[in-house]
Amino acid sequence: MLEREHLVVVGNGMAGINTVENILKLAPNKYKITIFGAEPYPNYNRIQLSYVLEKSKAIEDIILNDWQWYKDNGIALHTGATVMRIDLAHKQVVTDSGVQTGFDKLILATGSRPFRLNVPGSDKQGIVGFRDIDDCERMVRAADVYRKAAVIGGGLLGLEAAKGLLKLGMDVTVVHLFEELMERQLDRTASLMLQAELEGQGLKFAMGKKTTAFLGDERVSGLQFNDGTTLEAEFVVMAAGIVPNAELAKASGLEVNRGIVVDDFMRTSVSDIYAVGECNEHRGVSYGLVAPLFEQGGVLAKHLCSVETKPYEGTVVSTQLKISGIDVFSAGEFMDAPDLAIVRMHDEWRRIYKKILLRGGRIVGGVLIGDGKESTRLQQWIRTGTVMTDAIHGALMGAVEAASGNTVADIADEEIVCGCNGVTKKRIVDVIQEQGFTTVEEIKMSTGASRSCGGCRPVVEQILKHVLGDKYDSAAAKKEGICACTTLSKDEVVRNIKEKGLITSKEVRYALGWENEEGCSKCRPALNYYLGMIWPSEHVDERDARFVNERMHANIQKDGTFGVIPRMYGGVTTPEDLRLIADVAVKYKVKLVKVTGGQRLDLLGIKREDVPKVWEELGMPSGYAYAKALRTVKTCVGSQFCRFGTKDSIDMGVRLEKKFERLDMPAKFKMAVNGCPRNCAESATKDLGIVGNEGAWEIYVGGNGGIKARLADLLCKVKTDDEVMGIVGAFIQYYRETAKYLERTSDWLERTGLENVIATVVDNAEKREELNARIDLALEQVKEPWRDILDNRKLKEQLFEEIKVPAHHE
Amino acid sequence: MRYYHVGSVELFPMRLGRVVRLNDQQIAVFRTTEGKLYALENRSPGPKGGTIVEGIVAGEVLYDPICDWKIGLPDGCVLPPDEGKVRSFLVDIRDGEVYVGMEE
Repeated sequence: MLEREHLVVVGNGMAGINTVENILKLAPNKYKITIFGAEPYPNYNRIQLSYVLEKSKAIEDIILNDWQWYKDNGIALHTGATVMRIDLAHKQVVTDSGVQTGFDKLILATGSRPFRLNVPGSDKQGIVGFRDIDDCERMVRAADVYRKAAVIGGGLLGLEAAKGLLKLGMDVTVVHLFEELMERQLDRTASLMLQAELEGQGLKFAMGKKTTAFLGDERVSGLQFNDGTTLEAEFVVMAAGIVPNAELAKASGLEVNRGIVVDDFMRTSVSDIYAVGECNEHRGVSYGLVAPLFEQGGVLAKHLCSVETKPYEGTVVSTQLKISGIDVFSAGEFMDAPDLAIVRMHDEWRRIYKKILLRGGRIVGGVLIGDGKESTRLQQWIRTGTVMTDAIHGALMGAVEAASGNTVADIADEEIVCGCNGVTKKRIVDVIQEQGFTTVEEIKMSTGASRSCGGCRPVVEQILKHVLGDKYDSAAAKKEGICACTTLSKDEVVRNIKEKGLITSKEVRYALGWENEEGCSKCRPALNYYLGMIWPSEHVDERDARFVNERMHANIQKDGTFGVIPRMYGGVTTPEDLRLIADVAVKYKVKLVKVTGGQRLDLLGIKREDVPKVWEELGMPSGYAYAKALRTVKTCVGSQFCRFGTKDSIDMGVRLEKKFERLDMPAKFKMAVNGCPRNCAESATKDLGIVGNEGAWEIYVGGNGGIKARLADLLCKVKTDDEVMGIVGAFIQYYRETAKYLERTSDWLERTGLENVIATVVDNAEKREELNARIDLALEQVKEPWRDILDNRKLKEQLFEEIKVPAHHE
Repeated sequence: MRYYHVGSVELFPMRLGRVVRLNDQQIAVFRTTEGKLYALENRSPGPKGGTIVEGIVAGEVLYDPICDWKIGLPDGCVLPPDEGKVRSFLVDIRDGEVYVGMEE
């Protein structure tokens, strides 16, 4: 057997281990791995040290890889071992105890340390950094004995340390060299708000103070500042930035500036030696945050495993303060500059500050104080340089009408507007002018812009507005048809279907003057849905109008195999069912068994012709994981077993799933039931989520955890289980009747308005009953689809079996 | 050119594709509402790859199930605004039996 190459990692922290984990995933047998770590712990989550300090977590809670992990992966781990020297000539590392270890490849992941002020008295007792578990423990011990603490550094780390000490009961003053806190992430307004907020929580500040000496005898007793003033302090934490640990590299002859200099693949100046994480310096930047470290580790792992990878080109860093009670977010650029346009909102009453920075119409930075709801999306917009639109502006700033179209004028002609289909702004402007287009739909059909993910549609619309100017007719633009075959809107189509009594989609297309006799991939599934919703007992489902997964009742995968998910009501199963699922999975050589996000089991990699056999042998109903219908009802353990459970969430979840499964809806529909407000089954991101309280059920609607995250709104509170069923039935039916095809409840709710839904579903008992009567009628028509196909031999063959032709046949 | 007997027309459902495996080739055969049969190589012309047999058939157009491109059933040509071509095969129907032509 070939000798495996020896990979030595110096540094047992997040950067090094993340890289190793990636390597193990890509090529588990490529390297023999040895890791040296100076701390006597396995890899832990350094970011969460402040929780250990606050005592909200124990050290064991923040361990990322326990000892067993190293053992399981055959990694030789030496903790408490500091590497002193790299012997380049013999390709080996030498530890403080004299152990020599040879390497083929070497990764330096030595991290960083707190910057220590080099002033008189800095070696006194009672002065620590805030970097590792040791520091944390020292801080906790100090809090027991001492009262007055000073934290040097008003950046992210300093504020977290200060807040931690405050919580431990100390009297804490933050000493900062500058006049503003977090001056590298926040502008003056934001800094002052943050300071006021923290002062409200009990922190004290000494701003614009340079520490020139530490006072005291053996132990520190205070700080001397350059302006002649002093501050009493029995305990000092230095958190004024970090210094890359690059001494080892420097002493060994590697190129080092501030950190160990690396290229876009984390290669140092010496071949076969790499540096990753806070110890390195990439394009002049040493990062002190976790996101870049993961990106670097990903690139390095691929490089080391000879997997093709894009070079690492730097990271747009974002900062989120992990202090309870304050939302502070900052990413990208944050200071005003002549070439930037600023969108700013400052609400001193609600104590909210939002600032978005645009260059050439694109979002290049942002600061959020007091309201960080949009921080995740904002970060994404910054990373991708998204163009500001009315929709984004509305999401960030509240629905304030934006001045029309100025931002699109700033987009350069050759800039790509639609990233999916590579359509430039010029192309869009050209077709509008040359072809006389007046709607986005026409532009889409001609150029492909906004056809795939739809994300650029608002920009396309703005360009259209901008080019047409006064000729832009917003009514006409809004009155776009449900697809290119018609100019009728969804509401008009539905009204016509009802009024004219149209039962089949062919009749609809004929009666309503469709452009294409047989429709298109947009209207075919939509019409089939509307017809089924309006005429539950008369309309015959049109299988050829269904998208593939709904047509075959399985999830097609990228290699042409299928995923099968059986129904598992409320996420509850039995040993017998599990055994059966396991047996079937083995028999049909399932490639992967995956527990889904909705608490079900997915059998992946089943051959097309085996799908019906798998159904037959499972003998379970379809889990509908492919459908625009109720997917799953996720439940927590609830009062049957959980000590905190106040309600029987499983029972309620099973009841809901059994009642509403299989019914077609405009889009997929996810539910959850929780037995108490701890909300373990995560109701806030479900189309309909239920939370049990002592004596009541709360019903939340319109949540979404997907592409466009949205927290659910409270629809109502009810007392009994039957009331829950009544409200849920009415809500689902109201959604079915009024939403556009493919419109999730989150978008629908914003369009129709929560008040309107409450007025119809909750406050109006008569309407609620009518809605329930209609949904009950629809529910009577549903059939179990797997059984249905198995019982129809011809259909089963047509859908799942290939026709094999012998080659010699004439 | 050689024609291979595939089976009866009844094997092919209206507006639903079906795979025919012939000389290690996967061919997607579609039957239109008008009763015509078309045979295309079962491979998406789009950038993401995949198969086309699962697409939606409308008239003489197939909507690619992955990239939603429009593919002309008679010749396999992708319709504007996209470009590309899927290999197409000749189909002959005699006495309700289907034959697919392939170069030898």
